[in-house]
Amino acid sequence: MSLKRLALAIGFVSLMAVIAVGCGGGTDTVTVTSGGGGEAAEGNGSEPAADESNSSGKTVKIVASVPPTDHGWLGAISKDAKAEAAKYDDVEFKLLEAADSDSQAQQIQQVIAEKPDALVVLPQDGEALTPAAQQAEAAGIPVVNIDRLFSAPDAATATILGDNYQIGSLAAEYITEQLNCKGKIAEIEGLAGISVTQERTEGFEDQLKKSCPGGGIEVVANQPGDFNPEKGLTVMENILTAQPEIDAVYTHDDDMAQGVVQAIRNSGREDEMFVTGVGGSQAAMEQIAEGGLYRATFLYNPNIAASAVTMARLIALGEGFSELVPPQVPRQIVVPAEAVTKENVAEYEQYAYN
Amino acid sequence: MSYAIALRKRFGALQFQEYALALVVIALFVAGAILKPDTFPTWDNVRNMLTQASIVGVLAVGMTFVIATSGIDLSVGSMVAAAGVFAGTMAEPSGGTFIFIVAAIAFAALLGAVNATAITFGRVVPFIATLAMLSIARGLALIFNDKLPVGLLNLNGGSFGDPSPFSLLWFGTGKIIGIPVSVWIFLGIVIAGWVVLNRTRYGRHVVAVGGNREAARIAGVPVRRVIFSVYVLSGLLAGIATVLLCARLGSASPVSGELYELDAIGAVVIGGTSLAGGRATMVGTFLGVLTFALIFSLMTQLDLSTEIQQVTKGAIVLGAVLLQRPEVRY
Repeated sequence: MSLKRLALAIGFVSLMAVIAVGCGGGTDTVTVTSGGGGEAAEGNGSEPAADESNSSGKTVKIVASVPPTDHGWLGAISKDAKAEAAKYDDVEFKLLEAADSDSQAQQIQQVIAEKPDALVVLPQDGEALTPAAQQAEAAGIPVVNIDRLFSAPDAATATILGDNYQIGSLAAEYITEQLNCKGKIAEIEGLAGISVTQERTEGFEDQLKKSCPGGGIEVVANQPGDFNPEKGLTVMENILTAQPEIDAVYTHDDDMAQGVVQAIRNSGREDEMFVTGVGGSQAAMEQIAEGGLYRATFLYNPNIAASAVTMARLIALGEGFSELVPPQVPRQIVVPAEAVTKENVAEYEQYAYN
Repeated sequence: MSYAIALRKRFGALQFQEYALALVVIALFVAGAILKPDTFPTWDNVRNMLTQASIVGVLAVGMTFVIATSGIDLSVGSMVAAAGVFAGTMAEPSGGTFIFIVAAIAFAALLGAVNATAITFGRVVPFIATLAMLSIARGLALIFNDKLPVGLLNLNGGSFGDPSPFSLLWFGTGKIIGIPVSVWIFLGIVIAGWVVLNRTRYGRHVVAVGGNREAARIAGVPVRRVIFSVYVLSGLLAGIATVLLCARLGSASPVSGELYELDAIGAVVIGGTSLAGGRATMVGTFLGVLTFALIFSLMTQLDLSTEIQQVTKGAIVLGAVLLQRPEVRY
């Protein structure tokens, strides 16, 4: 009997393995150790490995910890980080994914024991991961924080992030200008309860008041779509049913906006309104170039991950940016947001992510 | 004689439960009609709610059979994602809608059969077997296309407008006599499920297995085969739900279907099917699915904030269950 069960258990495991390997094709390995310098990495606007770094002969070990990369923007974060690391001969790079805040904290604690030269962290939740980052700093491992801020100044040596508040205000500026301060707006937010969503909404609301001091713009619906196209679709369907008149839809994410666009098309109301996104995905850029329903997106470029790797490398080598006077990497870099519309989409398409 | 009385009593209780939930559905609809008189009690909105209910609705029909045997299937949401991405990668380069549909249903049924094998032959409790599948299927969904969604617009000539009959997108956006195709499929499956559950020997076997497994075995019910079949059925219906979802989105995403299992289980249980097995009602499941769809639609139309929505949804679900006559006294 127990033999039979053993056979069954082995059967299961091998079946799953066959499915996973057979159909998966190119499962990506998360460890990238840079090999020959000739490997062409995707160009992302940052300069290639400087040759002088090789002269020191020192190799630095950098570990990055990020949330699960199953969302377009997060997927691009890990791709860009790996591509950037592969450009340098002197960087040994490892990327780890964690399913939630708790496991990410544990992961970082394990990494501390490995004593890397620098740690790059995009926390699932900045607040929750602050203690883990502080432990790393205390153990002498410099931490570069991406996107979601830690809540204590001693948790990171350097920080790079986009400007979510500015994204909201740029979106408000664009929409109010298009509508001449007269019309009805629906807002499809991201995940409720995180700072990114909050800042994108605050920036939007503040700018609405500034741009149209006389009023005239009404936000008729404001619902979370959780950065998820499926949720974006159903929420937008209900809003379309409830609101006989909508002039513009401000969404917090390009991926999610695809579901919103679908809902509007299904209802046949694509001539009545336009949609804006955030991020700068390939699909969004294409639709903006085509013209029509999708009118604009506001860049929140995942290539900040590439910059973070560069910063981590310089910190580990004890250098600063050669263009800047101080011999250290700046404490905080805020990458400005930019509006991508039909007029300028051609120059930004090179930064689009999948 | 006493058996007849017991039967009538049980049947009566079941009917009351269904009526009670019907009252909740009507009350929610009336509330919507009062709060949003221009947009809520309209044909457009009813059609919209039924369309949104169709995906979880199809899953809930399968879940009714599973729960009737005192089992549970936690993996349906993940199976939807895995089947979608799998079928997408099979169909997208050169295949067609037909390949997509066959691949989605076959793959989900295969995963269901894996659940069934683990439960019947491996004697793993359903909760654990399907919890394992929840994780495995989600992982497979991410592996199949390297974590990226598969675009399916090519299956409809690259656009969304006016899908031709039996193209993939037609299942999501097409209509027959003004009613969306997905709603026809959902209603058809509910009716078929009702007939199988209430009017066939197989349906009686399912309920008997959930009621008292030993007694059912002695009475000659092929217990193992029945239990095996409900998990395959649940997988198969997850495949159909996959087709409806992907047809609506025009893409197959590895992160779709999250928490569908809880919506499906919730709809089945507030409908009156007993988690302990042995009692199942397809009408109740249908009303349970409608209750969730009404709550979601009403709350987004009223533009309530998320936190208020969560509290309200929980309160309505609890209220709906409390309204039904409690079966067990503590």
